[in-house]
Amino acid sequence: MTDDLLARATRALREETRGDDTGARFTRSRIMASVHEDRVKRRTRWAFLIPVAATFVAASAFGAASGTAHRAFEVVVRALGIHASTPPAPRTSAPRPVSASAVAPAARSPSPSVVDTAAPVVNEAPAPPPPPLAEPAPPAPLAAVAPAAPKTQPATSSGHEPAPVASAPDPTFELYKAAHQAHFVDRDWARALGGWDAYLKAAPRGALAPEARYNRALCLLRLHRNDEARVALRPFADGHYGTYRREEAQKLIEALPAGIDGP
Amino acid sequence: MALSQLVTMTDTAFVERERALEGDFVARLMLGDRAAVAEAYDAHHSAVRAFAKRLVGETAAAEDLVHEVFVVLPRAIKSYRGDASLRTFLISVAVNHARHHVRAAARRRYAMERYEREPGRGTSDPELLTGQRELAQVLERCLDALPLDQRVAFVLCEVEERSSTEVARIVGAPEGTVRTRLFHAKKKLRSLLEEEGVR
Repeated sequence: MTDDLLARATRALREETRGDDTGARFTRSRIMASVHEDRVKRRTRWAFLIPVAATFVAASAFGAASGTAHRAFEVVVRALGIHASTPPAPRTSAPRPVSASAVAPAARSPSPSVVDTAAPVVNEAPAPPPPPLAEPAPPAPLAAVAPAAPKTQPATSSGHEPAPVASAPDPTFELYKAAHQAHFVDRDWARALGGWDAYLKAAPRGALAPEARYNRALCLLRLHRNDEARVALRPFADGHYGTYRREEAQKLIEALPAGIDGP
Repeated sequence: MALSQLVTMTDTAFVERERALEGDFVARLMLGDRAAVAEAYDAHHSAVRAFAKRLVGETAAAEDLVHEVFVVLPRAIKSYRGDASLRTFLISVAVNHARHHVRAAARRRYAMERYEREPGRGTSDPELLTGQRELAQVLERCLDALPLDQRVAFVLCEVEERSSTEVARIVGAPEGTVRTRLFHAKKKLRSLLEEEGVR
């Protein structure tokens, strides 16, 4: 009985709503207008977004190519006072060691190197006795750190320890660490010299090669091998490494003829 | 070549051509081609409108739903896989966009009922509820009491007489779920019709 009622009601609803297309034409017009409007909106959006995106891409490319972006980045970083946490990318102005041969003008002594650290070499060199070389080297910082951070930074006398950056294990790093230990902790110049030579042999173009070459030159000074030291310092003084250690190298070379006698 | 082979080849060619045409049509819809939308409307508006009216229960709300279905079609067609007819796909778009329209129509119906119950207005006399139109109106009122899922299942299965397989495809639910929804919908409608005093 109720089933029959439900069936009747269902049939009634079906019949009542069958073929009732009044308003179909009006709805069609509405739909066409809405679709057109949608299309226009979409086109307008793209017409606006594409030039904006193109301008952004072009400006970014120009900024990256001309270095403007990097300078702007530095300004922002400085303004925000976050230098410590976000070291800026290496500058393009500081040329990397050109090549092993170019770096080591003399066959026997490549060139100086390393992170002789904060030790203002300039102060030490002029003094006749080399010991004044305030070996600044903080030995600890290198622990468990890879010799990344190629430091192309300008030759400020403040020289930092090679930025300890965690990275994939580097087979030459152990050599660098051993030389560093001998130089800055044990102060065994002969062993340190051997260590720097070993590192440079293994990684003549390594990330820390300039620092190793500079430290090697310092070892030669300590060992009174002045001629070799001069040859090793010459590339730095001539600006082969940009401004890196240039002033210090020039001052050391000037001081050499006077004789750096004792350790 | 045997006749049957020839017929098979002809059939295959026909089906492939149909598919290519449909693919082309779908591509035009995706691009928001107005002519394609117009073609789709002309071919399928009756079915979509009838379903919308049955589901929503009100002409104006049904027209709004039809409008919405064809306006969103260029975007919705991206999810069309071609495993069902375009008409079935349009019905499923309507189901997905019906919620708001069903609620709005139910609210309006309720308001009208209250207005009619006010003193001085004619009351719904069960004795009068014998005509087809009245019976349909009562069923629409009863449908308002159902959850949307059950309402959709009832309209598609009972009013539109579609198979549960087709309904399952339209609503994107398993066939068993559709049957369960239909069972509960019918059960509730029976008791509501009795309460309405319809004979």
